[in-house]
Amino acid sequence: MSDTSLIDELPGELLMWVLIISELLVFGAGMIAFMGVRLTDPAGFAEAQAHLHRTGAAFNTAVLVTSGYLAAQALHWRQAARRGAARLALIGAALLGVVFLIIKGTEYADKAAQGISFETHPFFLFYYLLTGFHAAHVLAGVGILLLVSWRDDARNIEAGAQFWHMVDLVWIMLFPVIYLLG
Amino acid sequence: MRVTSSFSKYSHRRLPSPITCAWLALLALSVASAFLTMMPIAPKLLGGGILILALAKSRIILAKYLELAHSPSWLRGFTMVLTAFAVLIFGLYLV
Repeated sequence: MSDTSLIDELPGELLMWVLIISELLVFGAGMIAFMGVRLTDPAGFAEAQAHLHRTGAAFNTAVLVTSGYLAAQALHWRQAARRGAARLALIGAALLGVVFLIIKGTEYADKAAQGISFETHPFFLFYYLLTGFHAAHVLAGVGILLLVSWRDDARNIEAGAQFWHMVDLVWIMLFPVIYLLG
Repeated sequence: MRVTSSFSKYSHRRLPSPITCAWLALLALSVASAFLTMMPIAPKLLGGGILILALAKSRIILAKYLELAHSPSWLRGFTMVLTAFAVLIFGLYLV
């Protein structure tokens, strides 16, 4: 009989994985609800989706996966006792998170200028709720990355990077559902 | 005189780390998604292709960034749930 359980196989803290799974379930349920409501008005959803800026959102995907790369490298470098490089990588990851938020803010400002709000169409209600909730996680992630660049114990960096990868993972599924499946 | 072959010369070059390979793969899959949306193909086929690419990206993040490659049981579990999710989304898209 093995002396290690399946739970012990998870890298990092168990509670961080509970958080990751909870967040994935919440966003997953939101995306399923979005696709379910879309069935009531597919043409209206497609028309509403045409107002979105796909290029900016696609660019944001590249920004987030690059930021995730820096966070993953930071943990690798901290474990190799390269504290300076790890700190710089975490700050770089946080700055890319800020870039993501600036692009997202520009997108929201553009929608506001077109007179598009929560009430314009059910599509935009889900659009603002899901992308806004995700942006709130990006904002929290930026703070966490900066915090662990300061309190740079390897376990702290691992937890911070895991939170950031969860934010990345959610965006990878959210982007095609909201922006591309018209 | 010592002769060094070109093989031994180049074999000392460092290969990119698994994290760097994962990042490059994620960028390549993102570019592939962008190209797919520009191709004149049926929307339903396009939707399926986009979701498959998103699944591939998710698996890379789980395996390499979140280090589940060291825990194959968990990686398999997450992949199965994400695949079921993508199939459900695609099913709702097709209706």
